[in-house]
Amino acid sequence: MTTPAMMYVHDWRAWQPGRRDTSHPRLSVAEKPAGSHVPAMLRRRLTGIGRALCDMLAELDVDADCPLLYASRHGDGERTLEMLNALAEEAPLSPARFGLSVHNAIPGVYSIGRGNRRTQQAIAASGDEFAALLVEARGYLAQGESSVIIAFAEQAIPVRFAEHFTTPTDTAAVALRVSLTPARDSWALTPRPLASDATTEGSPQPSDLIDWLCGARDELHCHRPRQAWSLVRAE
Amino acid sequence: MTSELEQELKHLIIDTLELEDVTPEDIDPDEPLFVEGLGLDSIDALELGLALQKRYGIKLESDSDETRHHFRNLRTLAALVEERRTA
Repeated sequence: MTTPAMMYVHDWRAWQPGRRDTSHPRLSVAEKPAGSHVPAMLRRRLTGIGRALCDMLAELDVDADCPLLYASRHGDGERTLEMLNALAEEAPLSPARFGLSVHNAIPGVYSIGRGNRRTQQAIAASGDEFAALLVEARGYLAQGESSVIIAFAEQAIPVRFAEHFTTPTDTAAVALRVSLTPARDSWALTPRPLASDATTEGSPQPSDLIDWLCGARDELHCHRPRQAWSLVRAE
Repeated sequence: MTSELEQELKHLIIDTLELEDVTPEDIDPDEPLFVEGLGLDSIDALELGLALQKRYGIKLESDSDETRHHFRNLRTLAALVEERRTA
């Protein structure tokens, strides 16, 4: 018996600078993403990942009318550390950097730049970001939204923190437009519980999602909740 | 005519405020810096205040009419630096 689809992925975009093993029309490997969908006066305060996300979101949500659920476990670790160092030295903080140090900074700039006034959520879930995004998306869809954008982004962890993490993090961002109804060329996203003795590779990172979306892995595993997700072209 | 100090301030503004698409020639010394003209915002005003403090040792009240006057355009900013610089 086939498990019914949890939701359908209508489209997706991804960014992973320097990635060489996969080429895909929905994947950008640009070292310096343009951020051309956001006015220059707003764009200047974004780093590469913010620019990449704004471009991806603009392509997925042409009418700028979808709720946006954004997740990142670590946010911008380098800039946060820079500010902490400045505080430790009692040096003044850059107001612009401080203003963009909140977790929802990138969705905020995107929303101003594109005039999207729909709901936004910024999530950090101790490594369970993808599972959390799906749960939240399901809630919005159940409430009657026809589609929702989920985005997941991570950057390399600052060297100073790296020893505290066992999961390596590549700089990458991924965004999916999901819905409860299938569309032409959509993918059915189906979950299955993982057996209690199944070995998992830790928390799925944005780069793992890109592997999965590009077809380089059949299932995306997550140890907490013990869950696996597969993507199949919907009929 | 743009003075040497005005030229220096143009570079300070572009670098500090990360105005990647703006060249020094784009900044008209008589045009407003904020909202209209160059189109800077309130966070830029704070950032610029910090830069003036670091570079020239000038301390300004963040929300006074006097500061508003000094930040009107590049010429008023240059006049402020000329008059109050300690570094």
